[in-house]
Formats: sequence, structure tokens, C-alpha cells
Amino acid sequence: MAVTRVFGARIKRREDPRLITGTATYTDDIVIPGMCYTVIVRSPYAHARIKRIDVERARKHPGVVAAFTGKDLEGKVNPIPCAWLIPGSDLKTPPHPALAVDRVRYVGEGVAVVVATSRHAAADAASLVEVEVEPLPAVVNQEKAMQPGAPQIHDGVPNNVAFHWKVSSGDVGRAFQEADVVIRQRMVNHRLIPNAMEPRSCVAAYNRGSGDLTIWMTSQNPHIHRVLLSGILGIPEHRLRIIAPEVGGGFGSKIPCYADEAVVAFCAMQTGHPVKWGEDRRENYLATAHGRDHIVDLEVAAKKDGTITAIRGTCYANLGAYLSTAAPGVPTILHGLMMCGPYTIPNIDYEVYGIFTNTTPVDAYRGAGRPEATYYVERLVDMVARKLNMDPVEVRRKNFIPKDKFPYTVATGITYDSGDYEASLETLLRIIDYPNFRKEQEKAWKEGRYLGIGFSTYVEICGLGPSQVAGAVGFQGALWESALVRVHPTGKVTVLTGASPHGQGEETTFAQIVSEELGIPIEDIEVLHGDTEMIPMGWGTYGSRTTAVGGAALFVACRRIVEKGKKLAAHLLEASEQDILFEGGRFFVKGAPDRAKTIQEVALQAYLAWNLPAGFEPALEATAFYDPPNFTYPFGAHACIVEVDPETGTVKIRRYVAVDDCGRVVNPLIVDGQVHGGLAQGIGQALYEYAYYDDFGQLLTGSMSDYAVPKASQLPPFETARTETPSPHHPLGLKGVGETGTIASTPAVANAVVDALQPLGIHHIDIPLTPPRVLAAIRQAQGR
Amino acid sequence: MRLEGTYTLEAPRDRVWELLNDPHVLVRCTPGMKQLEPAEGDTFKATMEVGVGPVKGTFQGKVEVAERKAPEQITLRVQGGGSAGMVRAEGTITLREEDGRTVLSYVGEAQVSGLIASVGQRMIGSVAKMLADQFFSNLIKEASASR
Repeated sequence: MAVTRVFGARIKRREDPRLITGTATYTDDIVIPGMCYTVIVRSPYAHARIKRIDVERARKHPGVVAAFTGKDLEGKVNPIPCAWLIPGSDLKTPPHPALAVDRVRYVGEGVAVVVATSRHAAADAASLVEVEVEPLPAVVNQEKAMQPGAPQIHDGVPNNVAFHWKVSSGDVGRAFQEADVVIRQRMVNHRLIPNAMEPRSCVAAYNRGSGDLTIWMTSQNPHIHRVLLSGILGIPEHRLRIIAPEVGGGFGSKIPCYADEAVVAFCAMQTGHPVKWGEDRRENYLATAHGRDHIVDLEVAAKKDGTITAIRGTCYANLGAYLSTAAPGVPTILHGLMMCGPYTIPNIDYEVYGIFTNTTPVDAYRGAGRPEATYYVERLVDMVARKLNMDPVEVRRKNFIPKDKFPYTVATGITYDSGDYEASLETLLRIIDYPNFRKEQEKAWKEGRYLGIGFSTYVEICGLGPSQVAGAVGFQGALWESALVRVHPTGKVTVLTGASPHGQGEETTFAQIVSEELGIPIEDIEVLHGDTEMIPMGWGTYGSRTTAVGGAALFVACRRIVEKGKKLAAHLLEASEQDILFEGGRFFVKGAPDRAKTIQEVALQAYLAWNLPAGFEPALEATAFYDPPNFTYPFGAHACIVEVDPETGTVKIRRYVAVDDCGRVVNPLIVDGQVHGGLAQGIGQALYEYAYYDDFGQLLTGSMSDYAVPKASQLPPFETARTETPSPHHPLGLKGVGETGTIASTPAVANAVVDALQPLGIHHIDIPLTPPRVLAAIRQAQGR
Repeated sequence: MRLEGTYTLEAPRDRVWELLNDPHVLVRCTPGMKQLEPAEGDTFKATMEVGVGPVKGTFQGKVEVAERKAPEQITLRVQGGGSAGMVRAEGTITLREEDGRTVLSYVGEAQVSGLIASVGQRMIGSVAKMLADQFFSNLIKEASASR
């Protein structure tokens, strides 16, 4: 019986029925008998010296079981570590206590915790904690924080500079001297709040008898959390179990190891009660890592014919008050190294200052460094085109890495695996009917309507990544991935993946890969993840790595199953192993396809073990640990068409077309979904979202009514298409698609708005392109 | 956040000065003020109920007379907080006599933090202005009543 081809099929996500019918179990759904609730008391001050914290009144409140301050944690809960120590950058890693002891450094930093028998009692008691402080001057802007006389946030970190990192190659000085045009532009890539649908939450249960600690938590990488929390809490790794149940999105914000989970675990260990904690949205905005937040001075050098010869830049990256887990790597390795984009720019000089400020720590947010790089490069390319009076499409074509030059090492030193940038751009131009659009635009301009098109031809680094490279760039871990494929006696399959999907659909795509490789019906395959006691060590979901790396591990494990199956099938069919072929779930003898055993029959025999070949181990399962030889480099071409209302400054997106190339596609429906979500967030950054602090360090966009996550009605229908350039080093030719939408879309929208306003001579407006900002630029241009 | 305003009171300056320095009058005039008790030195302990948009709460605080130049100028320093956030403010009230009436002007600078800052931000300026307006119009009523 032939099994229908499932690899590449538009199969609906198998995880969705439980997610959309309210039958999934999230961390906050977990209830354990005797469970208590915690509320963490947070600083309303951005910077202050703590004079006194008194939890006595809180302790006396009815229902309160315990209350602790930072002093109670000393010697019992170690500081929260940073896990990406980029080398050669003079990185400072000031201590980050789990609860502040003598100083608070941002609004939202934990200063005390209350444990009570109900959530309400805990919340009431938390308001009784008396915190007496002496407010200190605060600084929220990274440039101001570097200036002499600025408030010093950490001892031993002069001028609040956490690191200074550089990438440089070629002869940049000469390129600028010999340039026909040089453009200088300061750009701001503002701070964002990740807004996972489910805020962070955890439940900790400690067994005093056995010394076992179990933590259910909203994690993108349970094994990393286990290693780090083991060190923070002093619990041996084998006594610590981390479970990520259903996780309602993360977008990077559930990678870091936060203080809160350690504090909650400490409460469980001290009180002996299982303890639950969960953020509300307001707390999430203050206590969960933010993303982006750069100020960059950029320069680009180009020749008259549009050839870009050099990019030079200084980036000031706001890190917030403490180094979050991956924070130093995001604006450097994941950002600075991508400053060539998909272009052959031979000379590059880019430096990044990582700076502490009195704000919530900043870490990876969907795209993590690459959206910023793409935004700068794509804006610069458009500026070059404008200055030379060239079509932005032509400037891009002029500078693309040609498809026959791959693998291609760019000036920043990384090697792109494969690409055909022309192909995706051509596809895009065809879909939008570019020549016609320019005619329509001319006509609109004559009528006083501001119609514009913006392009973004991007490349991104994902499928993180080769472990040796991870080590060389200071990542304190590895980036291989694990997969275990267990074929049960009845031929059903359980897959355990060390990646930890939380909304990306791998329960479906991984089942598709296994179904394709083993010829087993997809409904017979289950994909499990997220429990360190059950799943082999793995590194989690981020950097568009789950299918790119975890999928490769899965492929290798499936091949091992087939190899083992062949041995047993040969024995059962009394044929030589070399003569056994495997196809569509059947092992058969070459030239005699009727002499066959199904994989289900072979599995049963492997378990029964009544008749095995000599030296054959019973059972049918395989584990693979796959370390990729390189990163993968998805790319594509996006276009956005906007109309700007000159009277109100409102930007209306008329069309958005995304052509992505993520290599081979396991499930087009899921890839579309990933692209759609990413576009919503990238457009959100371009037009709406902005995490804004006042000068005293108060987050003024502290709720969803102040922070503008786009609504569906504010987004256009998305048109998606794909080209397919397989990754040459990935066993399935996959590349990863989790972040492309966010990476590509922000500059496409920004370029479109500036293009629309060409007749007014506007060259740049900083994002987010809100009506007041756009209107101010229009009025300034009109001299009003 | 900077606040300022000017009001004209139908009362002589000395009378207005008297009113401004009477804790009972202040309790009556300040919207939401529940209690104002003299404490050490030239300070008062205050309890106030204030709502800014969705954020409502009781504030405990300290009002300190930082400078007093009878009968023309008084500078107050306010510091307080509650579950809804913290406020630190400093303001100066100046009294000028004009044809038997008193022209009162105030200027102040307030710093808010916590919930009221992050959630009530869009409303906080207008709420502060409204509270000030209420206070001074109450004071005007007190002044006219005692004439």
C-alpha cells in the first residue's frame, strides 16, 4: 500500500484542536494539592538605594505563609548569570541578584516575594511590604548613559558600557575616499515588547524527602533552564526537572533565565509547599525582556553605477539594567555580522557599544539583531538609489551576491550557504506588476495622493547553529539538537525532540518528516517535547532552529531506524541486507517487491525478539544528536505598497507581498502562518509599537491600551509566495522560517512610506511611522 | 510633569494666606483628602484617595512646608505612595494683592511612578490639572464664605 506523500503537504496543524478549544494545559492551569501562590513585589523606581524593606506586616496578613527579601536569598540563590559572553569586547558582567538587595536598577525589578494560600491573599500582602528607598538619578537613553556625569548603574562598569564589539574588513577608509556618493544617516530602531499571548508563569514543587525539584515553566528551552537553574539554586541537574507544558508563544522572551523562576523555586524549597507564580500583562511589560532598542550612526559609500562599496557604523545598543541571558550576542553576533545583507559589499566597519540603562533588560525578540541589520541596510540601499536617481530595484540587483557564487563568504566573515536572490526578486516584481505600479504612482502624485512602494531584499542567519562556532563567539552552550524516534511494537511512533516548539507547529511538521521517512501514517506518530526528564538533552527553540536543526536530527534518527529495520527485514526475508530496499513503509527484496515486510511487522519482531539475527539488539528506536556544519541563510524579497494621507499622516498599507525562500518546505500552510505572524510583528514595529520610557525610567506604555500591538483590522491581507533554494548542507534542504517575516517587513514598510513622500523631498523618518511623526515630517518638508 | 495656573480670589491676601495654612481648610478643599495630621517640624501626614482613569488607590504621604514667606509665598514638598504608585512633587504658591483681591499663582513639578505612570499616563496631566482646579475653586469658595 502506497502512503500518500506528506512531506510538502498543506496539512492542518495537529496541535490546534486542543489549543483552540481550551483543552490544552498551560503552566497556569496546573494545580497541585496544597499549592500556594506568590506575588513578587517590584520596584516602582528606576534607580534607588534601598534603605529598608520590611515584610513583617505582610507576614501577618491572613493566608500568608512566608515573605522573603533579597537578604533572605543571599547564599541560597546565586546571581542570575549571562550565558553569552562575547569575546574580545571587554564585556562586563555585573552581578544580577535574584531579588535586589541594596539597589534597584529598573522599574519592575523584584525586591521581595510573598507566599500565601491564595493569589488574592498574596497580592494583598504584597501591598503591605514596606520598601523605603532613596531615589537616585536614572538614565534610560543609551547615549546619555555613556556621557560623563551620567548616573552609574553598576560598580565597575564605567560610563555604563557593558561591552565594545567590532567587526571590520577590507579598506573602508579608501572605499569612502573613492566613493562617488557618501550618505550619512542616524537611525533609531526602537524598543519593543515581545507580547507573547501567554505571559510568563511557573509552578515549583520541591520534595524535601527526595530532594527533587520540579519546575513547570513557560520556557522555549527547558534544558538550558535546567542547567542555569541548577547552578542558581544549587540543585544537582539530575534532581531538577523542568517541564514546559503548553507554551503560548515566546518570540524570544521565554529564552532567558529570569530571576523570578529562581525566586519561586526558592519559595517552594523554603516552605515545602508547591508554589505558583504568574505575571499579569502589566507585570509582563515590566519584568519580561524587551527587544531591539538601537541608536545607530551609519554611513554608506557607493559608486555612480550603484555599486555599494562600504558600510560604516556605530551602534549604541540599550541592554537595560542587567545582562539578560543572551543579551550581548544579539546586537553583535546576530546583528553586526549581518550588516552586508544579501550584497557583495566588500568593506565593512561596524562597532557596537552595549550600554546599561535603568530600563527592563533587553534580549532576543523575534529576529533578534537581524531585523535591525536588515532595517539599516535596506534603508541605506534605498537612500543610495534615491541619491543616484536609480530604481531601488536596480541598486539591489547591482549588488546582489550572484547565485553561482555560493557558498559565499561576506565581508563580516560568515559564509552564506546558498541563495538565488534574483529569483525571489523576479517573482516579487511579477506579482506586484512593478512597471504598472510606478505608472499608477506617477498618476497618484499628480492628483496629490502619496502612493509608495518599499522593497526589502533580505537574508538572515538562522538554524542556530554549529556548536564550535557558538563556542568561538562566546555562547556558553552548544547548538546541536536531539531527536529520539521510538517505533512501538504496534508500529506507532513517539518522537521526542530536544527543541521545544511553542506555537510553531512542529508537532505537525515533525510528524510529516517521520511519516515521509518511515512510511508510517501521520496519525500514528506523536511528537513530544519540553520535559527534561523524558527528552534527551537539547537546546530549544529560537533562531529559527527547530525544523532547521531539530528536523535534521529527526531525519538522521529516522535513517537509523531504517538501517536497523533493514537488518531485521533481511533476516526475516532470508535475503542479504544489501538487497533490501525500503520504500513507502515496506522493506522488500530488490527485484522481488512481493517479498516484503512492513515496518510495523518489523517493529513487532524487533520487540518480540523471538527470531533476531545474531548480535541484533531488541527494540526499534534511535536517537540522533545533530550538530549542523553551518548556519542556514533563508532570504527573500518583500514589497509593501502604502498610501500616506498628507493631512493626517496616516499610513495605509494597500498591499503586502512576501516572497520567501526558506529552502525546501515541509508544510506550506505552516510556513505561511509563520510568515503571516512575523509580518504582523514587523509591520507593528514599522507603524505602531513603541516601548517608551520617560526620563525618570517609568515605562509609559505599560499596558495594552498604551502599547499598540496591531489589530487584525490594521493589517492588510498578506500575499505570500516562495522560491525554493535548498540548503546544501541540510539533509532535507531546509532552512527555517520562524523569523523571516519580522526581519523583512519593517524596512519594506519604512521604504514604502519614504517612497510615497518623494515629491516632498523627505529622505528619512524614524520608525514607528505613527501619524504624528509622519505629519511632522510632511509639515517640515512643506515649510508649515 | 509641570503644572501651573493662576486664580483670582475675592479676599484680601492675609485671609487667603490664613486659609492656606489651615490644615482643616486644606482637608476640605483637597479632592479626595481624607486626613492631614501635623507631624514633626513643618510637616503633615496625609491620606488621600485618588483615581486616574482605571487606577484608583489610597496614597499615604508627607507634605512638607519647605519654605514660607508670609503672606506671599509658600513652597510645599509632597512625597507619597500607595499600591497605585508613587508621587514626588514640589510646588510654589504665590499670592499677590490686587485691588483688595488676591491673585494666586502656582507652579509645580511632579514625578509619578508605578502603576499610575505606566497605565494612567495619558490621563495624568489632565487629572492633575482637574484636581488643582477643584482645590483652588474650593479655596475660592472658602474665601468668599469667610468674607
